[in-house]
Order: sequence, then structure tokens, then C-alpha cells
Amino acid sequence: MGNLTHVTINFDTSHLIFPTLIGCILGLLGLAIVIRDRRQLAASGTHWRKILGEMDKTRFFGTLALTVIYFSAMVPVGDIWPNTGMGFLLCSIPLVAASGLLFMRDRTAKKAIPLMIVAVAAPTLVWWLFTDLFFLTLP
Amino acid sequence: MDILSFISPLFVLLTVGGTLVGIIFGAIPGMTATMAVAVCLPVTYSLGLDNGLALLLGLYVGGISGGLVPAILLGIPGTPSSITTTLDGYPMAKAGHGEKALRIGIFASLVGGLVSLLILDLFAPTLADFAIKFSYVEKFLIILFALSVMAALSSDLLLGIFSGFLGIFISLIGTYDVTKGGNGEWRLIPPGTEYWLEQGFSLLPVLIGLFGLAAILDEAETGMKAGMSQKDVKIGQHEKFSLSIFKGQWINLIRSSCIGTFVGILPGVGGSAASILSYSNAKTFSKNPEKFGKGEPAGVMASEAGNNGLTGGALVPLLSLGIPGDSTTALLIGAFTLQGVQVGPLFIGNNPVTWDAMIFAMLIANLAMFVMMYYAIRYFAMVVTIPKYILFPVILMMCVIGAYTINYGIMFDVWTLLIFGIFGWVMTKIRLEVAPFIIGFILGPSAEVYFVKTLESFGDLTIFFTKSWIAVFLWVLIALSVGGSAYLQTKKK
Repeated sequence: MGNLTHVTINFDTSHLIFPTLIGCILGLLGLAIVIRDRRQLAASGTHWRKILGEMDKTRFFGTLALTVIYFSAMVPVGDIWPNTGMGFLLCSIPLVAASGLLFMRDRTAKKAIPLMIVAVAAPTLVWWLFTDLFFLTLP
Repeated sequence: MDILSFISPLFVLLTVGGTLVGIIFGAIPGMTATMAVAVCLPVTYSLGLDNGLALLLGLYVGGISGGLVPAILLGIPGTPSSITTTLDGYPMAKAGHGEKALRIGIFASLVGGLVSLLILDLFAPTLADFAIKFSYVEKFLIILFALSVMAALSSDLLLGIFSGFLGIFISLIGTYDVTKGGNGEWRLIPPGTEYWLEQGFSLLPVLIGLFGLAAILDEAETGMKAGMSQKDVKIGQHEKFSLSIFKGQWINLIRSSCIGTFVGILPGVGGSAASILSYSNAKTFSKNPEKFGKGEPAGVMASEAGNNGLTGGALVPLLSLGIPGDSTTALLIGAFTLQGVQVGPLFIGNNPVTWDAMIFAMLIANLAMFVMMYYAIRYFAMVVTIPKYILFPVILMMCVIGAYTINYGIMFDVWTLLIFGIFGWVMTKIRLEVAPFIIGFILGPSAEVYFVKTLESFGDLTIFFTKSWIAVFLWVLIALSVGGSAYLQTKKK
């Protein structure tokens, strides 16, 4: 019994001990889940089709697309005016405006005008707060 | 204590301001105290630890309290912790007593907050003093216990445990930290990503992604339903409010506050369990249980005292053991990390001023919450009508700030936000649990150090069972939480 529980740690490979152990536990748990939920897993295609079917695809994928464009554009735009945070400011204004319009139902000018004011005011305020007041780096 | 060493007009202003913003977040369905803290975390970079914590604790108390507004006026819980407030609060509002129900809830919230604060002040230093004596074995077992409690409270035990271990696994990506006794070697880094993942995923982008972006995606998936209009808000006519309504209810208030605090002390259990337990107890001990669910003020009192009792309770394990009591206090770890302060058994002893500042911030936040909500409740009631198409884009922008500034400007942290935002959304679809995942992610690196260093020192696995009576006691608790949950889930089926 003493030999079974005895463990010698080699410092050079000690970084692999815990990840290996956790990986093995995850594998066993995963296997147990697969065995227990095999019927549900077999029907997972239906589950995802239902989610996609009921989903508001325009708003969901639109949000994802806008987010990816926003993240991708910030650095190149910021590089035009380095160390000013302009990348954040100039990309955030269209992001807030576009995602606000995307989220809005029954788009009307009455609803869009306050959104446009917020789209300009909120990023500008945040940009000023973080760059001028807190001296933090923005893209 | 020398109050003047930390209290200042800015300290008070940040606490009150945080409480106000927290109430607004809590009052809007779909937005939570956790999201409020996640979004406002970057603001604390330049504030220093005490002032930063003042802001975040205000957000926490306000966020939990604000949930009662839509729960009572719309029948929709603003936060998960106000779920039982709807049961009696909404019928009261429909009967024209919305304002009265709100004021009952606000007063009960104050009592819950103050009782839990008292318990926090008395209990956390004692527990911390006790925990100082813990070796790596006991520390490792406490983490295991925290994970087992959370997994046990998940809707599915197996998936809850899996989520916790998945969190640990992902936290191990990167370098085995030399400063913690590691050998500085990389592991689990996919080829080609070494440049970005050398230090693993940063905590804050992961948290902001899971609690901020995932919530936005969730709302977008369901079509970002139109907000409520003023005519939906059933606040009713102005009624004179008297404390006599609490006559005979003080035991209910104190009991519910204590239940909430106790639930908060259990790692990762959350506010919904606090309010449900308090509510069911109030119903059990009531002389008129048949009135519950039909507009009984005692139900609103129990639910609100219970969920606000959670606020102080959840800070007990965080400040004495370094283990977050719920997802919001998990974010507070981020604030401590930003300021280079480690929470754990030594925290209170080594940082007495910060400890006192936190207690005062909680006190001010509870009082500010009461004053603001009690006297301006009709204005707060209108908060539920703020359109989501204005709020969510601004939150998305704030999420980016939080992720980008954590490591002073690394764009990969922003992409991490997106990765974990999508991952958080997927998790809910495949029934994985976010809370055990987060706790696993936060505590994984510490668990590794405690585990490996114990084996390096003792060279035998039996040490985890034989080191001390505390180790044995912790194993019993782990077995009880997992075994009890497995039994209950089998019985339910």
C-alpha cells in the first residue's frame, strides 16, 4: 500500500503533474457524461437546430460580426494617431450607434436620435476619463 | 481604528455613486450586480485599493438591492437573487400597493445588509486567524470543498463537477510560475499561440467575457426584447408607510438575514439560494402560510433580507480564505489583483486599514441604498424603462476597456473577452455551469501549487487524508456535499 501511494516528483517535469491529473479527471468525467447522456448527445443535432431555429439570427450574428469588426479595427485606426486612444474613440462611436440600431425594435427617428447622442457622448466621456483623468492606455 | 486614514469625501462619493449605479444595474432585468462590477472594474485602476473597493462594494450592495424594483413592479426578477420577491411583491403591486411593497423590500434589504455586515466583521477575522495555521494540504482541500459545494448545488452534479475541473484545466494554460515555486516551463499551449498564451488567459477578460459579453449575446439571441413602458410599471398610489408593518416580523427579518449570510459564506452558492431558503423558512414558520404567494408582506421581507444578507456573508470566505463566496466576489479578486494585493488568511492582519475601509464602505453602501431607494423609489421605478438598445452597446464598449487596460494595453486580452463571451453563451446551451467554472479558473493555479508542493515535501498521497483532523473533517464535508447532492438528484429522478 505504501508503494502505491508513494510519489516522487521530478522538478524538471513538475509542470506536467497537475495538468495531467486534471486532464485524466476531465476525461473520466467526460466519459461518464457521454455514457449517461448518450441519447441526448445522439440528438444534439436536433438540440442545436432548435436553438438556431428559435434564435434571432440577425441580432445574434450581427452582434458577433460588429464585435469582431470593432476589435479588428481599433488597433489599425489607433496606429494612425499613436498613443492618443483615438482607435478606441473613433471605433466605439460607430459600434454603439450600429449595435444600438441593430438591437432597436421598430426603428424610428424619435428613438434613433437619443441613441445617436449616446453613441457620441458615451465613448467621448469614457475616452476622456481614461486617457486624460486616469492616464490609461487605450488603443 | 483610525477612520480618517481612509475615509474622505472621495471615498464616500465613490461608495454612494457605486450604490446608485448598482441599483440601476440591478433594476434592469438582464443586468446584474456581477455585470455592474465587471463593467466598472477598470475605473478602479487609478483609484487605489481602498477607494476602488468602496466603488465596487457600493455596486455590489446596490446591484443586489436594485433587483427588487422589477421583481415587485413587473413580476420579473431584476437579478436571480430577487426571484422569490416576485412571489408576493408582484401580487401586492397588482393590488395597488407597489410603493408599499417596495418600501418593505428596501427596509428588509437594509436589515439583511447590516446583519450580514455585523457577522462579517465578527466572523471573518476569527476564521482568518484559524486559517493562518493551515498547511498546503488543508488549503488544497478547502479549494476542493469549495468546488464540491458548487458542483453539488448545480442543476446536474456531474456537469457541475466537470465545469469546475474544466475551469482548473484552462487556468493551467501557460507557464508554471517560478514565483510560486514552479519550474518556469510551458504547458497546454497550442502550437503557434505561445506568444499570447505564455502567461495564460488573464483573469479579468475571462470574467468580463463570461458575465458581460455572454449576457449581451444571450439578449441578442432572444431578440433584445423591447423594454417596459411607464404604463407597465405598477407602482400604485402614494401610501403612507409605517414601520408598524414589521410588528411581529423581526424574527423573520433576523432569521432571513442570518440564512442569507450563512448561504453567502458557503462558496459559490449565490443569492437565489439565499432568498429561496429564507422565503421557504418564513413560509414554514408563518402563522398564515396560505397567504404566501398571494401578496404577503412577510414573503417580501424574507426574500429581500435573505438576498442582502448574502453580501456580507460572501465576503467572509473571500477575505479569510481567499475563496470567493459568489460570482460577484470572484470579480472583487480581480480588483485586489490589479492593486497587487493577495486575499487569503493573512489579508486582514496585513491590511487592517483596507479591512476597516471595506467594512465602512459596506455600511455606507447599505445606508445609502436605503436612503436613495426609500426616498426616490418612484424615480428608480422608472429605471426599468431605460431601453436595452442604449444600454447594451455602452456595456459592450466598457467590457473592451476592462479587458484592454488590465495588462496596460494588450489586444489579446480583448480577443480573450470575445472567446470567453462566446464560450459563456455556449456553456449555457450545453448545460455547463458558469459558477464552478469560474471558481475552478480562479483557484486552479493555487490548487496546483498546494498539490504539487505537498507531494514534493511528503512524497505520499495519504498525507491528504492524514495530515490533521481538519483534513479529515474537510474530506467528510466534501463527501457529504457530493454524496448528499447525488442522493437528492437520484431521488428527484
